[in-house]
Amino acid sequence: MSREKYKEVFLKSLSIESDKFKEELEYNEIPEWDSIGHMSLMSDLEEEFNISLETEDIVEFGSFKKGIEILEKYKVKF
Amino acid sequence: MSENLKKISISIRKNILLMAKSAGSSSAHIGGALSIADVMSVLVGEQMKLSSKKNGYSEDERVRIILSKGHGCLAYYAGLFEFGFLSKEDLVTFEKNGSELLGHPVRNKKKGIDFSTGSLGMGLSLGIGVALAAKKKNKSFSVYVILGDGECNEGSVWEAAMSAAHFKLDNVTIIIDNNNFQQTGSNEKIMSLGNIKSKWESFGWHTEQIDGNNIDEILSTFKKISEIKKPKAIIAKTIKGKGVSFIENNNVWHHSILTQKKYDEAINELNSFL
Amino acid sequence: MNINEKNIKLWSSIGSRATFGLAVLELGKSIDNLMVLTSDVSTSAGLDRFKKAYPEKYLDVGIAEQNLIGIAAGLASENYNVITTTFAPFQVMRCCEQIKVNLGYMKNKVCMVGIASGLVLGNLGYTHCCIEDVGVLRSIPNLKIISPADTLETVKALEAVVKNKDSSVYIRLTGSSNNPAVYDHDYKFEIGKAIELVSGEHIVIFCCGTMVHHSLEVSKILRKNNINAKVVNMHTIKPIDKEAIKNAIEAKLIVSIEEHNVIGGLGSAVAEELSKLGYKNKHLTLGIQDEYSEGGDYKYLLDRHGLSIEKIINKILTTMEKL
Repeated sequence: MSREKYKEVFLKSLSIESDKFKEELEYNEIPEWDSIGHMSLMSDLEEEFNISLETEDIVEFGSFKKGIEILEKYKVKF
Repeated sequence: MSENLKKISISIRKNILLMAKSAGSSSAHIGGALSIADVMSVLVGEQMKLSSKKNGYSEDERVRIILSKGHGCLAYYAGLFEFGFLSKEDLVTFEKNGSELLGHPVRNKKKGIDFSTGSLGMGLSLGIGVALAAKKKNKSFSVYVILGDGECNEGSVWEAAMSAAHFKLDNVTIIIDNNNFQQTGSNEKIMSLGNIKSKWESFGWHTEQIDGNNIDEILSTFKKISEIKKPKAIIAKTIKGKGVSFIENNNVWHHSILTQKKYDEAINELNSFL
Repeated sequence: MNINEKNIKLWSSIGSRATFGLAVLELGKSIDNLMVLTSDVSTSAGLDRFKKAYPEKYLDVGIAEQNLIGIAAGLASENYNVITTTFAPFQVMRCCEQIKVNLGYMKNKVCMVGIASGLVLGNLGYTHCCIEDVGVLRSIPNLKIISPADTLETVKALEAVVKNKDSSVYIRLTGSSNNPAVYDHDYKFEIGKAIELVSGEHIVIFCCGTMVHHSLEVSKILRKNNINAKVVNMHTIKPIDKEAIKNAIEAKLIVSIEEHNVIGGLGSAVAEELSKLGYKNKHLTLGIQDEYSEGGDYKYLLDRHGLSIEKIINKILTTMEKL
């Protein structure tokens, strides 16, 4: 359930269609996921999962997959 | 056609002297105005006329003239008189209290003065902005910027020069009034320009070196370079004070008082050319 | 731009430069004759997206600020709606005379945005800080000066300037990312009209830029000490809101706080008005006390110059003791 929600946030926040999405998606790989897109994404994830991300985790959040690892630290269950 | 322009250049010189005399003890930049009288004659008499209302162009398609060497304004005002923007009454207000015609041009659209200049080194940047606007709007008017040779000491001139080539502005033509003098002495003495032609060429400009006091040569050069797809620099070798023997190459007349006596002498000399 | 809670929070976290980039991107949609000019600072000014989306509205003139202003003025004279931006010291001082002649004297209308003004780049040294911009520009006629309090105000100021350009304007952006929000919802912004954020009958604090947030925090602590401070956001330093200053003259203490030299900026502008009004009480000017200090990060430098919340409170309290 969370994995679906997680993917939905990515699509909505970065304003991309699912055909542009892949599990291996990385920061700066697509123009929508630039530094501004990143901050917007972090903000949306915080809202969706009701958490507050540490700065270090925001910086480390370099890919869709890495994000799962990080969110699990905040007790988000995938 | 060049006969007509030669007559205009004499008329411009006479009006330069008239305004200088009217300024009285406020003195005036006479030498550097006389040196560009011929270039101004062609710019106003030919280029500006080409893009005038009479030939079906709208106001915003008129060529733009930017007098970056703003202290040459006596020639500019005299030129605007020839084109009908200024009247004789306007000319004699030069440098009087409350006048709109000051020792450096102050923007006044009604009087045909498009830009305020006077602080050297700024006009070319302005011209580049205007030329970029023309390209963006698909307008074909040219931008002419008149610079002084001493003015080329200013670094900002070279910032602009570099960018004109970068932006491929073939609608910008500069005319450098190469009269070899600046305020307190010759260019050589104050700050040597070196090889001015190769400097502009190395910045990506098509460069011509001409006799800036020869109307036929000025005219033919404008025609020759019109189709060149680069920004264009005309290094006009001129004589500071050209047209009046006691002013020619005498740097005292960079900025000086013109007495009635000297005025009469000068006018007599110019009349002998008619 | 969509002013809602989510965006306010986002802008606050990305800081004023990136917010400026987003605001300009939005303006690019609706303003056909918009031109944004920079001196090789596209990324630093948050303009990468704008550059990609509207390449025909973007122009980089390279590291040549004098040329930047000349070109901007030339475009403005041909009816383009022009915004220029680069780091504040270069935006204002490298091309100061060009600003005077082309914008002040010739009255070509250009909106200049000075990024990273104040002390935020302190670990790069004072060549990259700007504590002089307001002072330098205040003496040029026909130029307005705005110092937005937070990222939302940055958006509002930019929109106000671009949509109604009756003169050239300089907008001074201060603060870093995670720029504390002063406003959490939309509000009315008018150039030249100061905003009273907190009312108080004992002392008056005039502030601008990042010091607005600090002043709000200061006022909360002062209240605990039974001192009620009025806090006024003087976002427009020129033309200064004379009415707002007139309304303060009964106060026994007026404090001006700015991330700028105390000479020439908000404090001086307020002092000029107070002097005309014959104000006889104490005016405390907090800011950088006319010096180039050692370098350091933003927090360090604010504290070093007495602009941390703690130091501001101490200064106000000790001043009040002596009244």
